[in-house]
Amino acid sequence: MVKVEGLYHSYARDGRYAVEDVSFAIAKGETFGFLGPSGAGKSTTQGVLTGLLQLQKGAVTVAGHDMRKPERSMFNRIGVSFEQSNVYDKLTALENLEFYRKLFDVETLDPMELLKTVGLDHVARKKAGEFSKGMKHRLTFARSMLNRPELWFLDEPTTGLDPAIASEIKDIIKKRKEEGATIFLTTHNMYIADELCDRVAFIIDGKIKLVDSPRALKLRYGEKLVRIDARWEGGTRSETLSFVDEKDRGRIKALVDSGTVETMHTLEATLEEIFIKVTGRGLA
Amino acid sequence: MKLLHSFLKDLRLAYRTYYVYMELGIALLVVAVLIFVMPENFNRSAKAWLHVADASLPAAAIEKALGEDGLDIGRVATGAELRERLEEDRSAIGFDLRLEDGRPKLVFVLQGYESASLRASLETSVEAAFSRALPGYRASTVTTTLRSRDATLSDRVNVLPVFLAMNAAFMGLFIIASYIFLDKSEGAVKAFAVSPAKVWHYLAGKMGVVAVTGLASGLLTVALVAGADAQYPLFVVLLLATNAFGSAVGLFIASFFDDLSSAMGWVFGSVALLGLAAVSYYLPSFSPLAVRLLPSYPMLFAFRETLLAAPDAGLVWANVGGYSAGALVLFLLAERQYRRRMTA
Repeated sequence: MVKVEGLYHSYARDGRYAVEDVSFAIAKGETFGFLGPSGAGKSTTQGVLTGLLQLQKGAVTVAGHDMRKPERSMFNRIGVSFEQSNVYDKLTALENLEFYRKLFDVETLDPMELLKTVGLDHVARKKAGEFSKGMKHRLTFARSMLNRPELWFLDEPTTGLDPAIASEIKDIIKKRKEEGATIFLTTHNMYIADELCDRVAFIIDGKIKLVDSPRALKLRYGEKLVRIDARWEGGTRSETLSFVDEKDRGRIKALVDSGTVETMHTLEATLEEIFIKVTGRGLA
Repeated sequence: MKLLHSFLKDLRLAYRTYYVYMELGIALLVVAVLIFVMPENFNRSAKAWLHVADASLPAAAIEKALGEDGLDIGRVATGAELRERLEEDRSAIGFDLRLEDGRPKLVFVLQGYESASLRASLETSVEAAFSRALPGYRASTVTTTLRSRDATLSDRVNVLPVFLAMNAAFMGLFIIASYIFLDKSEGAVKAFAVSPAKVWHYLAGKMGVVAVTGLASGLLTVALVAGADAQYPLFVVLLLATNAFGSAVGLFIASFFDDLSSAMGWVFGSVALLGLAAVSYYLPSFSPLAVRLLPSYPMLFAFRETLLAAPDAGLVWANVGGYSAGALVLFLLAERQYRRRMTA
């Protein structure tokens, strides 16, 4: 669905690149996470993929369209949700969606139904300028779904939302994923990426450091350890034991058999820990 | 259809912002000033005081002759009173007619600020009147009216072309730039850029809104000030062409900037430059080539034609063609520029 080979982009065209030699491919129906801290080159890459930034160097194909000469018709198959809300403040939520709906040449979803999906149906006839930041963000998100996009670009879809709303947004993304949509998710939130993505790319200083599935990364970089808290002489004792070491495996079995185990946690690495290990930098 | 939807959305947005009301408000203010404050025609007769020192001189005949030259003559009894009146009214002039060695002598009493050319012109005109008042009068000045149709516009209606050029045509320059920058600040440009609609739909929709408001303010002003005398079909076509030109200039300028504050100098500079043509319109003697080359210069005279009872339709259509072609070229250049850096 998306193929990027040797992508470079320089805003000032002065040889200083915001993204440099970036290559990856996204299969149809795949959810691909682009993980990196602010300024890493995530939005620049998405800008080129969505035609907002001119392709300067490299080869990019999006939904079968060569991004050297993108055609407007490609946006009938693509949806883009921006990190910064961008709706008409002077129009109501419904008017915003009704306007954009009429720009498509394909069948679109009912704006009122979409507002209901993102929990804005009760303020459908209120001007977007009177919305909170989170409400505007949801309206921007809803707009990106109007044409039931085959390829869906999501830039920080849950940033700034309260946990309940963020959870609803994640459920919507999962549902569209189940329906077969290809999703390009740009985020610095490793929990979202871990939960939603089939594969993730770590990008830092404009360069991709690694591309793999969260599971494979955890297996590759995570410690195969378990921490066990067990009752011990009137108190509690904590032990960290290896799955791999034969002696430790025997100790785990003995603790479980003794019936003194209170809690037991596998110590797999989080994506953030793996990111730090691979890039030497944090995601914040 | 996308163009229509874009236009209708922009029209709705325009009526929810202040720009439209500002333009219509200015139009109504201009109408009010023209109708209730400005006379239909200015009184051009200057006040002049005449002192005739000797009873043997044909004072009444001289007074009548000076009056025929457009002077509002008042008589005073003494030379001192003449100076006193001139001190009271600094716009007035005076004539002191006396006998010296048995011959009439006319003394001009001026305020001191009159230019040499005005003094010469006054001297010629008054001496002509003076000679007419004497036996054996022979005409020494012949007046030829070069463009007899000029006289058919009242002073009040004659102001309209400047207003039409500035408000209906070039106000759009500022307004369309404001609309673009408002969209940029709200990020709506980015949202449009990832839709299947084309950039020209976006730009033309905005031009349509500016045309509607320009037409509304232009028609309102002309209908209330010029009434039935204006040539409305010609006027509407010219207004649409000039408005499109103004909007295209605004689009072109706005395409190079990211926000209104950085473009402000160019936007207001352009409007001020175009406004220079109004000086030449009112003072035809000041019309250097640089001013005549301004697009607003022929526009003013074309608008004036549409207000005349017998307009030069050829001149108006030539202007319509010129401004339409200019608008198209600028629109295409702007469209190209927006495609390149619409979301920059």
